[in-house]
Amino acid sequence: MRSITLSQAVNEAIAEEMRRDETVFLIGEDVAEAGTPFKVTSGLVEEFGTGRVIDTPIAEPGFTGLAVGAAMTGARPIVDLMFGDFLFLVMDQLCNQAAKAHYMSGGKLNVPMVLRTNLGATRRSAAQHSQSLHALVAHIPGLKVAMPSSAYEAKGLMKTAIRDNNPVVIFEDKLMYQDKAPVPEEEFLIPFGEANILLEGRDVTLIGTSSMRQVCEAAAEMLARDGISAEVIDPRTIVPLDEATILESVKKTSRAIVVDEGHQNFGTTAEIAARISEKAFYHLDAPVIRMGAMDVPVPFSPALEDLTVPTPEKVAETAHRIVAGELIHAL
Amino acid sequence: MPFEVKMPQLGMNQDSAVIVSWLKAAGEKVAAGEAIFEVETDKATVEVEAAADGFLAGIRAPEGADVPVGDVIAMIVDREAEVGEHESAATAPDGPAEAPPTPPAPVPSPAPEPNEAEVAAPPKTVPPAIAAGRILASALAKRVASEQGIDLAALRASGVSEPIHARDLAQAPAGGHSVLSTRVEGGALAALLERSEGANRTALFAAFATSAWRAAVEDAAVSIAIRGLDGSITPYPADAGADAALSLIDLCDTRLGSFAPAGGTPALAAAREGDAFLLTLSFNEGRLPFPTAAALLDAIAARVEDPIRQLL
Repeated sequence: MRSITLSQAVNEAIAEEMRRDETVFLIGEDVAEAGTPFKVTSGLVEEFGTGRVIDTPIAEPGFTGLAVGAAMTGARPIVDLMFGDFLFLVMDQLCNQAAKAHYMSGGKLNVPMVLRTNLGATRRSAAQHSQSLHALVAHIPGLKVAMPSSAYEAKGLMKTAIRDNNPVVIFEDKLMYQDKAPVPEEEFLIPFGEANILLEGRDVTLIGTSSMRQVCEAAAEMLARDGISAEVIDPRTIVPLDEATILESVKKTSRAIVVDEGHQNFGTTAEIAARISEKAFYHLDAPVIRMGAMDVPVPFSPALEDLTVPTPEKVAETAHRIVAGELIHAL
Repeated sequence: MPFEVKMPQLGMNQDSAVIVSWLKAAGEKVAAGEAIFEVETDKATVEVEAAADGFLAGIRAPEGADVPVGDVIAMIVDREAEVGEHESAATAPDGPAEAPPTPPAPVPSPAPEPNEAEVAAPPKTVPPAIAAGRILASALAKRVASEQGIDLAALRASGVSEPIHARDLAQAPAGGHSVLSTRVEGGALAALLERSEGANRTALFAAFATSAWRAAVEDAAVSIAIRGLDGSITPYPADAGADAALSLIDLCDTRLGSFAPAGGTPALAAAREGDAFLLTLSFNEGRLPFPTAAALLDAIAARVEDPIRQLL
């Protein structure tokens, strides 16, 4: 199978859906000629024209609100939000309007909108361009949240998102745009709410979202050398969350570490860990461990920034401690 | 009829406000709608109007005091002569918001506010667990230990370090049971059974165990699983659920002496030994601590020995 980058995968997904359905259009800052700072949408304006690949002024609330309205009236917009950090600018459009229109109109309105944006630190982009804010939107009923962990997921989840009749927010890890993965040439979709078991194991379950899947896979490799068998699960979408797959795994391994790049406090790791503790309590032989990003603004200093995110070494060390049965109060 | 002046609720999330100044002094005549004091909330300073005509009396909150919403801070009385009656309740203008603890002030305590009532309610006490001395063990270890009748307390006593994990259970000694037994004079019970036609000896044992449980373990109805020699299990009382706290087997019609089944549930066996009854209680110290078990078996034995106790 051919391998393509995550950027190419997203580009293909959007292009295929725009060819399939003429109501799909792309809107955002620098999406046309510039093809976004990460070159994800390069070439689309040449094929579909400026009527369907629309460059906007630097006005996130404006173009997101425009897209919500367009979605309510029959179009299927893809909003490109250049950095996930800009979500704070479009909270009303996304959380008060898009997320609630279907409910508040008694089902008369749909908002089939995709908001694609990114997450991820360690790109030396400082505190306002390095956040992973998916937990903010996952908290709001009415929004679906997809977190592709490779080029394959990026393509399959994007196509599903575009066809979904509800607002979907997709977070791509900006560190992974150039990472290649095998992606079939023939069409495929990845359904929402289906986690992917990447590695089967018996001693500990490592649950990793987005690029933390790779962190968990690397940790599992290190653990395997020490005779610890780790199971690695990528939820792929956190709303909806494939609880069944996660619980089944934890019931087997009796231990779990949840790894995510959002801040640890009140975050995605906390939500998943809480569900495990509630629903698999009598199968747990160790506390469920959250490993999120450190609860500080992301530092600009490379030396400091690297300390704030979970690494394979930290995940493996934590797994060692809980498998050894250490009395863990704080990690 | 004196009218209470209360701290008003001026904002949605406001639970108290600061009195900036009193615009009327005690004894001064006020008219309904006239501003009598100024309060400051976190958002604004607001003048508060009198809600009734009369004379201001008994100012209890000095300027600068932060007063909970709903607290009575003054009175409006009908006649000037009544003003004095309320002055004893007043707080000195520069004094602290709360009255000094001594001397015992003749302050009529204001009606308790709902908030105060909540705070004053005694904290809910958690009923003590049957087992004393919490054992640190994972949820999985506890569940498996319970299913297999493994005594975690005994495991700890044998030197397994806490927290106990599932794999530590492999070190548990087989069975994990403690057994207590006693030989009880059986004349009185035999006579009772002979006298009362159709009396069921096994049900009588169950009734003794129920009442002994109330006396020795906890004052609550206990459900008993009566194990038959044919392998059947009958709940006692008949409408008891599946989760029995005690199992009972009556071996009196056999040559058998005692039975201590595996599992975590305490088990009582009754057998004949000549004219006497042999009672055996097997139990898991993690679930039924030794002192409780000893008291339970002693209480059962006392009832078998003297069935009249059961009627008392």
